[in-house]
Amino acid sequence: MKVLAQMTNQVSPVEEQEKLLEEALNIVKVQAFQMKRCLDKSKLMDALKHASTMLGELRTSLLSPKSYYELYMAITDELRHLELYLLEEFQKGRKVADLYELVQYAGNIVPRLYLLITVGLVYIKTNTNLRRDLLKDLVEMCRGVQHPLRGLFLRNYLLQCTRNVLPDTHEAPNENEGTVRDAVDFVLMNFAEMNKLWVRMQHQGHSRDKERRERERSELRILVGTNLVRLSQLESVTVEDYRRMVLPGILEQVVSCRDAIAQEYLMECIIQVFPDEFHLANLQPFLKSCAELQPGVNIKNIIIALIERLASYSQRNEGNMNLSVVLEDGQEQEVQLFEVFSDQVAAITQSRVDMPQEDMLSLQLALLKLAQRCHPDKLNYVDRVLAHTDKICTDIHQSSGQSTLEHHTPVFKELMKIIKLPCDHYKNILVLIKLSNYAPLIRHLSYQGRVMIAVHLINDVLETNTAISTPQDVEAVLGLLDVLVKDQPDQPPSESDVEDFVEEQGLLARLIHHFKSDSADQQYLITSTARKILQGGGARRIQHTFPPLVFHAYRLAFVYKDLKDQDEMWEKKCQKIFQFCHQTITMLVKAELAELPLRLYLQGALAISEIGFANHETIAYEFLSQAFSLYEDEISDSKAQLAAITLIIATFEQINCFGAENAEPMRTQCALAASKLLKKPDQSRAVALCSHLFWKGTRDGRPVWALNDASRALDCLKKAARVAQQCMDGGVQAQLLAELLGRYALLRERGNQSLTPSLIDAIIQKIREELANLDQSEEVEQITKHFHNTLQHLKNRIESPDPESLGYEGLTLS
Amino acid sequence: MSFFGFGQTADIEIVFDDADKRKVAEVKTDDGKKEKLLLYYDGETVSGKVNVTLRKPGSKLEHQGIKVELIGQIELFYDRGNHHEFISLVKELARPGDLLQHTSYPFEFANVEKPYEVYTGSNVRLRYFLRATIVRRLTDITKEVDIAVHTLCSYPDVLNSIKMEVGIEDCLHIEFEYNKSKYHLKDVIVGKIYFLLVRIKIKHMEISIIKRETTGSGPNTFTENETVAKYEIMDGAPVRGESIPIRVFLAGYDLTPTMRDINNKFSVRYYLNLVLMDTEDRRYFKQQEVILWRKSDKSRLPLHPHHPQTVSYQGHQSLRKQSVSSDDNSARATPSNPDPENVMQRSVSPSMPEKQNGPLQMEREKPEAFIDKLAGAHINENDTNDTSDEIEEPKPVEKLPVVDKPLIAEKPQIAEKPTLNRPEPAGSPNQ
Repeated sequence: MKVLAQMTNQVSPVEEQEKLLEEALNIVKVQAFQMKRCLDKSKLMDALKHASTMLGELRTSLLSPKSYYELYMAITDELRHLELYLLEEFQKGRKVADLYELVQYAGNIVPRLYLLITVGLVYIKTNTNLRRDLLKDLVEMCRGVQHPLRGLFLRNYLLQCTRNVLPDTHEAPNENEGTVRDAVDFVLMNFAEMNKLWVRMQHQGHSRDKERRERERSELRILVGTNLVRLSQLESVTVEDYRRMVLPGILEQVVSCRDAIAQEYLMECIIQVFPDEFHLANLQPFLKSCAELQPGVNIKNIIIALIERLASYSQRNEGNMNLSVVLEDGQEQEVQLFEVFSDQVAAITQSRVDMPQEDMLSLQLALLKLAQRCHPDKLNYVDRVLAHTDKICTDIHQSSGQSTLEHHTPVFKELMKIIKLPCDHYKNILVLIKLSNYAPLIRHLSYQGRVMIAVHLINDVLETNTAISTPQDVEAVLGLLDVLVKDQPDQPPSESDVEDFVEEQGLLARLIHHFKSDSADQQYLITSTARKILQGGGARRIQHTFPPLVFHAYRLAFVYKDLKDQDEMWEKKCQKIFQFCHQTITMLVKAELAELPLRLYLQGALAISEIGFANHETIAYEFLSQAFSLYEDEISDSKAQLAAITLIIATFEQINCFGAENAEPMRTQCALAASKLLKKPDQSRAVALCSHLFWKGTRDGRPVWALNDASRALDCLKKAARVAQQCMDGGVQAQLLAELLGRYALLRERGNQSLTPSLIDAIIQKIREELANLDQSEEVEQITKHFHNTLQHLKNRIESPDPESLGYEGLTLS
Repeated sequence: MSFFGFGQTADIEIVFDDADKRKVAEVKTDDGKKEKLLLYYDGETVSGKVNVTLRKPGSKLEHQGIKVELIGQIELFYDRGNHHEFISLVKELARPGDLLQHTSYPFEFANVEKPYEVYTGSNVRLRYFLRATIVRRLTDITKEVDIAVHTLCSYPDVLNSIKMEVGIEDCLHIEFEYNKSKYHLKDVIVGKIYFLLVRIKIKHMEISIIKRETTGSGPNTFTENETVAKYEIMDGAPVRGESIPIRVFLAGYDLTPTMRDINNKFSVRYYLNLVLMDTEDRRYFKQQEVILWRKSDKSRLPLHPHHPQTVSYQGHQSLRKQSVSSDDNSARATPSNPDPENVMQRSVSPSMPEKQNGPLQMEREKPEAFIDKLAGAHINENDTNDTSDEIEEPKPVEKLPVVDKPLIAEKPQIAEKPTLNRPEPAGSPNQ
């Protein structure tokens, strides 16, 4: 019948289990009913017999742990009735003689022991003098059940029954009542036996059922863990007791059972159930045991759990922890939490050669957290962890033969966490650079990883708006960001992701804006240091990183200008700055860039002219001429040419520092360059703009420019008109003329008398003519609108002339 | 004369002195029922009165004499006709003559030696009885009344324990220990089993108490084994290093003192049989004789749960030490002398599954019904699976490295003995 049951069990396990359980529960129900009836009639012996029959159901081998649990619950529930009945009888003084002996006549051990425990409990509750001996006897007799599942539940019953009767004092009024020591011995013994049974489950049955067995074991683990909970509930256990009696007993069992599942669970259990103070006082033995656990144990989780627990505790107590260890010579020494962990973790990683590398890193991560949380003032702890991590990484490289950690490997992820942790914790890159092992650690990451970290770091700086204000810091920060600063040996060869690259460099450029100091001299040093480092980045990078530097420098020059009363050397310094800028821009030129340096030169020229230090004219000229030669030599695209010449002209227009000697060649060259542009419309526009080279207004209180040359300005405009008329397309012609009209009006209003109303009128007529010839189109409409707007302006001026500028006398607009 | 309805006849009644004060004991009769009899001990005086009541008052009863006898006898059931009287005491109560009225004759057997205890077994019965006889010419009028006799014993409190290491090579080595080799009938057996090597999948372990009754002698020897108690002491498979406690209360079982060679007619011996059953229902066992004796009630210490009797459960180390130090004891307790039983077990026969329907061994009758209820509850159901009884006699193991000197030098014995330990379907298994 049993064989049959087992066979069908395999056919449909779930249904079969349900059926078996139901059958068993039915028997329990019937027997429990009978038992209670007999109790009502005070027929104790018959009641015991029914109880025994009911308990006989627990002898089954057919139920899964889950079903067995249900059965156990149902039965122990019924046993409560028996217990209550006996308790009541005993308290009334109606003791049944030798009941403890009588129940032991039960032929089968499982029912016998359940009854024995039930009766024993009643004895203990009614006569505490029996407590010590009975506890000892019960836990001892339970050895008779060696079947793992049945044994575990039996002992669990023992543990449940005794939970409120364990002696919990140091001094018993009567030695037979027992002390907490007896309670500890009792639970420890029960624990050891249960653990053995639990571990034994692993080794029974077919190896193909391993998975199922492990699942079942994990369902049962709480039964074993309850022992530890019970121990932790003994209130009179002091730290000292825990150190002497409790922990060694537990650890010995945990270590000696040599079962990974048990060890892992129990160690975590220990951490969870006992108070922080206990852990603190016993860190070393605990951690030492950790080192002795089975290779399969995920020791990292255990230690991390402990570290996190103690770290929170430490934080709650604001680091006021009395942590002392007993040294080998018996003396106590105050130690730092971190020190203990650091040593033990090192010992563990060393002793467990088979530990996965990512786990070693995880441990370091935990240590790092501990250091940060418990010892916020001790940066050297953090650094020590990083140094250790560095060593582990080096080992990893050695074993893998690679020089960096591959992306998305577990070790990579762990290292990434380690690196990010201080970053997110301190939110201050200035702290990070104090960690001497931080930068080396980054180097263990793959290229991609390093980029990720760099981006992360920069974003942090930008978010927190941290100013990096010494050359050393700059150097260190850029050291951290090495991957963005210069080419890497392991960089992907193709410029596959230009967009990303540009974005990263853009970030770096933004970071450079944070290289700032309140002290101008310092700022100079910072900037030059930064350049020194950044110039190694090659053309692809400096085009992004140099402009902010140059602008830094220009801004600095203005600062010196503001400081000129305080700093006698300001002019010299400004010169030096512009020299620096010049060099910097030249580097960009050498990197075969054109438009960017051109603009920077022009910007520089503007700044120089504005600041007006000694010898500034020469330098401004130099900048401008450099820009111009870049225009001539490097810019070939016509659009770019137009844009460049426009900029050059505009810059020149803004600069007031040039004397005739420097201005003449410049404007002549510009005019020439403008007339040499390839496309007629471009030529026309550029030449028109050239008029500004010869005539500057007197806006904003500027004095009349000594070098104004009204007629040459007019020449420019005339030439522009001529060129415009050479354009084949009427629309373009009309447009250019309309623009030219504006220019005329502008220069006239700026006081150039050569641009007479009649000339303006001629242009107007010409435009009208052209417009008349054009078919309606959107473009034409726009031109017309532009034209009319200009006319409207003129009309306004005629009607209400600006007293400070020339009017349009004699101009009639029809 | 009474057959014909005439003539005088009489009833005899034997009345014991102190009958109301004297203790009684339950004794099994040969039809299996139990009877409460007055209890006497060795050397006690048996005294009382024989009352003769005439059926027909007024007429006389003629007789050849009246006597009372105290007889102790052994009845062998296969030899019904032959009773072996080991005691036969006679008291003449009246000389031949006529009896005219109800008469009462006092008698006294002073300080009677009663060497044996009453016993009713399967093949033999030992009884004591008083027989009053009115001797007549044709048919005597007799009356027999049984009395119970218990033999008391005393042994020193400190007794040798039984300790032995047994096993099957490379398969199972155990060391077991019973705290005594002699137990009184209300005693408790305390002991432990220590597993030194386990390479078989053990399902459970039990201790049974076997009563072996031997009758006759020479070629006409009959042996009857009865399992008096069966007591599971372990459930599941232990591993090396486990020690399993034993505690068996004897008071609840139907036991008699050990009887050796009673009047050259029979013996009753008791054995503790330690049986291990593996998952394939093979049984491994070791029998060990223990002496049971009856302790005087007066000196009997009450057994209270306050003092659970356990052997000290120490670790293996200390256990080993213990065994070394008590080598002498163990050696003495070890039956290195081949018992007749052992000789029988040694006869090797092919180990093959065999079914046999024997008498129900687990049938037990107990003085206290509740013990029966508890004890008999389930244990039998396991045995229904016992199709194969590979019985092996565990042998004392070869020297283990820990032991200084070999405990015993007994040859390995592997024997099959199907008639012994044959569990029978009993009770209804849960199906």
